Amino acid sequence: MRIALVASLAWQDYRRDAWLSACSVLALAAVIAPLLVLFGLKFGLVSSLTERLETDPATREIIPLGGGRFSSALIEQLGQRSDVSFAIPRTRQIAATAQVGARVLEMLPTAAGDPLLDGLPIPKGLDQIVLSHTAAERLAARPGDLLEARFARQVAGRVEEQRTRVQVLAVLPLEAFPRDGLFADLALLEAAEDYRDGGAVPALGWPGDEMSAVEQRVYPAFRLYARSLADVEPLRVYFAGQNLLVSTQANTIAQVQSLSRNLSIVFWIIAGLALAGAFAAMLAGALAAVARKRRELSVLRLLGFSTAALLLFVMVQALYSAGIAAVLSAGLYGLAETGLNRLFVQVPGEHASHLLARHYGVALVAVLGVSAVAAACGGWRVARIQASEGIRDV
Amino acid sequence: MLNLCAVHKSRGVGSQRYSLVIPALALRAGEQVAIVGPSGCGKSTLLDLLALVLAPDQVGQFEFHQQDIGGLWRADQQSALAALRSRHLGYVLQTGGLLGFLDVRGNIALPRQLLGLEDDGSVARLAEQLGISDQMGKPPAALSVGQRQRVSCARALAHAPQLVLADEPTASLDPLNAERVMQALLDRAREQRAACVIATHDEPLARASGLPVRRISCRRDADGGVTATLGEAC
Repeated sequence: MRIALVASLAWQDYRRDAWLSACSVLALAAVIAPLLVLFGLKFGLVSSLTERLETDPATREIIPLGGGRFSSALIEQLGQRSDVSFAIPRTRQIAATAQVGARVLEMLPTAAGDPLLDGLPIPKGLDQIVLSHTAAERLAARPGDLLEARFARQVAGRVEEQRTRVQVLAVLPLEAFPRDGLFADLALLEAAEDYRDGGAVPALGWPGDEMSAVEQRVYPAFRLYARSLADVEPLRVYFAGQNLLVSTQANTIAQVQSLSRNLSIVFWIIAGLALAGAFAAMLAGALAAVARKRRELSVLRLLGFSTAALLLFVMVQALYSAGIAAVLSAGLYGLAETGLNRLFVQVPGEHASHLLARHYGVALVAVLGVSAVAAACGGWRVARIQASEGIRDV
Repeated sequence: MLNLCAVHKSRGVGSQRYSLVIPALALRAGEQVAIVGPSGCGKSTLLDLLALVLAPDQVGQFEFHQQDIGGLWRADQQSALAALRSRHLGYVLQTGGLLGFLDVRGNIALPRQLLGLEDDGSVARLAEQLGISDQMGKPPAALSVGQRQRVSCARALAHAPQLVLADEPTASLDPLNAERVMQALLDRAREQRAACVIATHDEPLARASGLPVRRISCRRDADGGVTATLGEAC
């Protein structure tokens, strides 16, 4: 069997029947293009929602509720888990504030790998900070500015206060942290806590009681971020197992995952029905083609074409239709995608409808596969064509 | 090259039965013969048997190109029969049998392409010899009946087969064109030393072309059916 010759003959016959060929292409495109649009909408919508969740680190944050007693070693161990991207101890919230100008700012410990400070310089030591967007606005502070942070305490009914100069390394974008906040090295927060507990902070020259060096520091909480959205729920379950109540965005994540799952079910039901219809149409088309071309096929058999070659002739024509329909559908989908994204997308970078190159590849392979199988089933009747039966009439 | 002995083919039953009996038929390379008889006597059935597209019911002997054709049919060796057809047979059909989706050049070249033969100029040469070289780019539908028959002759000869079969190749032609087409076909077959079996109801034309004639005679049997028998050359 000469595959190239059969493909060439099939193409010439396909071209001669241009109108019928166009009809089969349009019939297929009428199935494929809406399926691409449907899947594009499902994928675009879900991936935009997922991306939105993934790009917002707050979604991956796990916040311990109530007071706890955590050692730095335990929190370091948590940070080394494969499902945790960042963990750092927090000092007592009541002690974790600083007065900067007329504003009292919430202090948050930070370190390298902090997802909130992604791409920003990390403050180190006791004299560097990163301000939240709102805090910087209220203080009219910009990166590089030097600010005075004040820390007050009451000792025997007497109010005492210490000050230290800190440099603003960077300002967080608003979406990263929408409150008034100050991100600093854990050492500065520990210094504030020690001072408010009546202790001395020798590194800053603040007077007070001598703090015990042998007593291990205990932290009431931590800042912890899961590595991915899928890690949030398992971490919640882990902490629940440790009798530690935590607050997570697991519900929000589950809603998006549920939406994705439900949309997938709807898509595959529709796609299954549509593909079954397309399969039936292609099967009928192949049967009709064999009946219509019976005379030509019997002449080809007379000339010495085998049953396999005749079957290939019918299948290749179906593949031509499938290939052209797939390209046409991709073009139609492209137009629909442009229109839908223009209509519905408000955030740059997000998509209402979106397909990846691999989706086009899978669609092409699926269409070619279904067409080939349908044509093979329908075209199998060529095996019954005898050279003697049609050659009298051609 | 071709040797048949006691080959039978029947269709239908009772009064609708039609049987063809070939007591003996032998052809050497380059030998030409005309099969004549009235319409419906079984000329086409005989050609289909020789073209290996119709299975005989009974075979005393059926050899073609040193192959036991009866055995191939019994073993349902369709691929082997198709290979023999494509390599060693050329068939001129009554109405041309051309493929409408190919132009004249494509139709003539097809048997060679199927065998993987290079174009050695034989397609153009045959078209020239058969007077259709100015029609090569046209589709069959744009040709006259006579031109189609010539294209069909060219296709049957293009791959230099050992046996050329022609089923009423001149039936639709006027006498002048009929003689031209018949002569062109026989001349080209002679050049290629191909054996030739021409089925025609036009015995005078066959004799005028110098062909030995073998008649198919029919008789009605007791069951009401018809038995046709291929006679000896006369």
